[in-house]
Amino acid sequence: MKEEIISLIAQTLEISKERINENTNLISDLKLESLDIVDLVAAFEKKYKIEILDKDIKELQTVKDIIKYIEEKHV
Amino acid sequence: MYKLYIAKNISSHDLLNKVLLELNIKDEIIYNAYKKPYLKNNKIYFNISHCDNYTVLVIAKKEVGIDIERITMRKNVLDRVCTKNERKLIKTAEDFTKMWVKKESYVKYLGVGCVYGLKNVDTLKHNFIIKKFKNYYIAIYGV
Repeated sequence: MKEEIISLIAQTLEISKERINENTNLISDLKLESLDIVDLVAAFEKKYKIEILDKDIKELQTVKDIIKYIEEKHV
Repeated sequence: MYKLYIAKNISSHDLLNKVLLELNIKDEIIYNAYKKPYLKNNKIYFNISHCDNYTVLVIAKKEVGIDIERITMRKNVLDRVCTKNERKLIKTAEDFTKMWVKKESYVKYLGVGCVYGLKNVDTLKHNFIIKKFKNYYIAIYGV
C-alpha cells in the first residue's frame, strides 16, 4: 500500500518518487498548493473507491497520514 | 472599493508589511480559528494569495477573499469541486482556472478554510471580480 500510494502521488503531481517517503509533508516539503491537494484527494478517491471528506483534508499532512487514512477507509 | 497589489519574488509577509508601511498603518496581525489573518485595531481587511513567484494582496474596507492560479486544467478534480451547472460550462483551461479561483476566493472570504467544501460554492450565484494577469487568473470576492 505504501509504495502504491507514493507512486500515485508522484504520478499525479508529475514528480519523482525519490522525493517522497512516509515522512514527506505535502505542504512544507512538496510545496503543494490547494489545487494540487484537491487533485491528489480526487486521485485517491478514484483509485481506492473511497470518499475523503472535506473536513478530513487538512488532517492529511504527511504521506504517513494519507496511508493511515486510506488503510482505514479502504476495505 | 479595493486595492490590488501584485508582486513578484516577495513573501506574503513582506508584501503585507510593505503595503501597510505605504498606507501608514501600524498594527498587529491576528488570526481567526482557521488562520485567516486580520488587523487587530484597524477596520481594514486584507487577503493574500500566491502562485509560483507571484504574490497578490487585496486591501478593502470589508471582508474580502482573493486567489491567484496559473491557467491550468485538472480534469480529475472537476467532479469533486463543481456543481452540475458549473461542470457544463467548463470547456477550457481558462474556464477551469476562473472557476477555481472564484471558489477559492469565496472560501477565503468566508475565512473557514478547506472544511467548507468547494462544491458548496456555487460560483454562478455570486459576483466575483476576475482579472487576467499574464498566464494567471485572479479572483476577488466580497467587494
